[in-house]
Amino acid sequence: MTRRTEHVPLVIIGGGASGATAAKLLTEAGHQVLVLERGPWLSFDEFGGDELANVNRNYLTPDPDLHPRTFRPTDDLDAVVQEYSPTPYMVGGGTTHWAGWVPRMLESDFRQRSIHGEVDGASLVDWPISFAEFEPYYSRVEQALGVSGLGGANKFESARSAPYPNPPLPSTRYGRRFRLGCERMGWNSFPMPIAQLSQEYQGRRATVQNAFVHLHGDPTGTRSGVLSTFIPDAHRTGRLTIRTGCYVHHLVTDRTGKITSALYYDEDGLEHEQSADFFILASNAIESARLLLMSTSPTHPDGLANSSGLVGRNFTTHEYTEALGVFENEILFPWAGGGFITECSYEFYEADVSQPFIGGGLIAAGSAGIPLPINWGLPDRPRWGQAMVDYDREFYNRAMSAGVILSDLPQASNRVDLDPAVTDDWGLPVARITQAPHANDIAQANHLVDRAADILSAAGATKVWTNHIHELTGNSRHQHGTLRMGDDPATSVVDRWSRAHDVPNLMVVDGSVFPTPGGVNPTLTIMANAWRVTEQLIRTQHT
Amino acid sequence: MTTSKASTSSSLPDRAGEAFPALSEHEQSTIQAAMNRIIPSTDLPGAEEARTIDWLNVYLSGPSRVWARPDGSGFVTLSVRLERVWHERIQRLRRVYGAGVADLDAQARSLHGATFRDLAAPAQDDVLGVMERDEEAAKARASSERASFVVARANSNTFDERTAGFFDLLVVHTRQAFYSDPVYGGNTEKVGWSSIGFAGPESMADVVAGRYSTLPYFDEEATT
Repeated sequence: MTRRTEHVPLVIIGGGASGATAAKLLTEAGHQVLVLERGPWLSFDEFGGDELANVNRNYLTPDPDLHPRTFRPTDDLDAVVQEYSPTPYMVGGGTTHWAGWVPRMLESDFRQRSIHGEVDGASLVDWPISFAEFEPYYSRVEQALGVSGLGGANKFESARSAPYPNPPLPSTRYGRRFRLGCERMGWNSFPMPIAQLSQEYQGRRATVQNAFVHLHGDPTGTRSGVLSTFIPDAHRTGRLTIRTGCYVHHLVTDRTGKITSALYYDEDGLEHEQSADFFILASNAIESARLLLMSTSPTHPDGLANSSGLVGRNFTTHEYTEALGVFENEILFPWAGGGFITECSYEFYEADVSQPFIGGGLIAAGSAGIPLPINWGLPDRPRWGQAMVDYDREFYNRAMSAGVILSDLPQASNRVDLDPAVTDDWGLPVARITQAPHANDIAQANHLVDRAADILSAAGATKVWTNHIHELTGNSRHQHGTLRMGDDPATSVVDRWSRAHDVPNLMVVDGSVFPTPGGVNPTLTIMANAWRVTEQLIRTQHT
Repeated sequence: MTTSKASTSSSLPDRAGEAFPALSEHEQSTIQAAMNRIIPSTDLPGAEEARTIDWLNVYLSGPSRVWARPDGSGFVTLSVRLERVWHERIQRLRRVYGAGVADLDAQARSLHGATFRDLAAPAQDDVLGVMERDEEAAKARASSERASFVVARANSNTFDERTAGFFDLLVVHTRQAFYSDPVYGGNTEKVGWSSIGFAGPESMADVVAGRYSTLPYFDEEATT
């Protein structure tokens, strides 16, 4: 029996980076907000320094037996069950376990179609808004999070309306090596802007620098995830309710096409129905598309908001790859600051017409894989025995990476849909990812990796490896594109204000709306867009 | 705030001990001997000093000790759903280890006429080498039957404990036991961390309290 709960004006589905941004703005503007969050709301002392639990035993990420996904490169193949792009299902979302890199997209990222024209096999489009309209929201989010960085240090940065609120963090040894390598190559580098505090800011102390950052939560609340910023901001207004353990699986619509309620399972598997006037989707690109596809009805046989047929399509995911280096004569302590207090270069971010591919991405220093003892590694480490442990002792503190982010081309065939056979522990069809790289992706990524290798060699690495890619694996845990923004309802799912074309009371605030993915970690752009469109909602809607 | 990863009361009855029988003395000493070949001891401590078998005993005791409480004060009690899936996975691990010890002894007798734990180190390495080769061959056969696109990438974590064979588990678990926080039973006296050169926290509580800092390991030329 479905239990009906009291009607509310507004529901946000998902309490992560984008949902928390929307919740903060709406509650601060006087609106009552109910967040339905699938997972828990962990308190700060439920995060800690534990490589085994966090990296190897899914402490923060979805259990692969409870929440499987399936994957295949192309339509002609059967999908296999595979852990794909795991992000925390809990209040805080991806900002629970991120290191906090918050680089900006460039002006050119908003106009890729205008710049490059049509690309065979790709669905390249412009964003329906200009960088100039968008930029102020980058500054808003940076100020609100207290981002530490150095405006103007990135030679390729597009115009900014405000400096970073905090200066860069102290330099790490591996960051300095990267900077030196870039200098020797004649390439620009700059401190990676990071959602951490280099000094006390708005009542929070400077970020405690420990080794357990990437894939770990933050027990001190001194990193700037939404758990220590936007969630408390919203909570302070007294107008925020977060209901945890709520697995929304269907959006119910009326005859006019408006959503009337969200159906969800609670932790005991009992179904509830939450009615509201307005719904904001904030579950990240895979799960938001999945929810709309699960919301079929006689009037929406292909899922909700899907008259374009594009729900789930044009899925992009970047891909992390890298060049690895060993510095036999240097101690690097690659775990200092968790491995991600680093330098970055946009030298190969924008298209270089001399190259046979378009686009590019950032290159930044990091650790050799996971920076921690269990899971770190290099390609030629012996598998076991004295040779393995000698290798660990000799090279653990002397290895680093120059990592790259591929800006993959959107393709209509790369998509998220519902697996026809595999269900999760609640009996719901899981997300099936179909994704194969475009030739441009391979060429671009491998060029970036070769340049990353140049940086490490120039920096004095005594041995360098390049990890060229052959396929896409979702290893970046970045997700975008599945509900792309555009002015034309025939070729997009949401409009320039992230409002669903087909559904009058649905707005999407996560990265599913990105028409193209850029070559940077997406969370800053996701939050800036969420800020932009939520302000518009507040201006125009009377809830 | 509510949690659904943890619950406030255990749902496992006292039959937990029956569901997860302890490794026998022979199994424990055999597995420790094998772990000692994965991470040997020389002038620096190895798996033996780290007491990696204690780590495995903790893990195989069941879902009640899968995740340490972040302050090191004990272990998180799992939700009903998580307990169920971990229960199944750990039971599989228990079976694989039991069968693995039997295989080690069978190979050891066949190659060198004694049980594995009674062999000298070079002979033990021989036996492990055979086990490794056999398992790799089995994996190669299995992967040619599986989807051809499931490819191992250098920087993706492709090890899946749920389907791994004995030798893979031995290698990965020895590393985990040697290098994980001592609360899990291994890395005794932090010998693993000191041998690799990782300045880990004094205690898990220090991390939660914000007392653990790696600032001294930043760039020595930088001023803070």
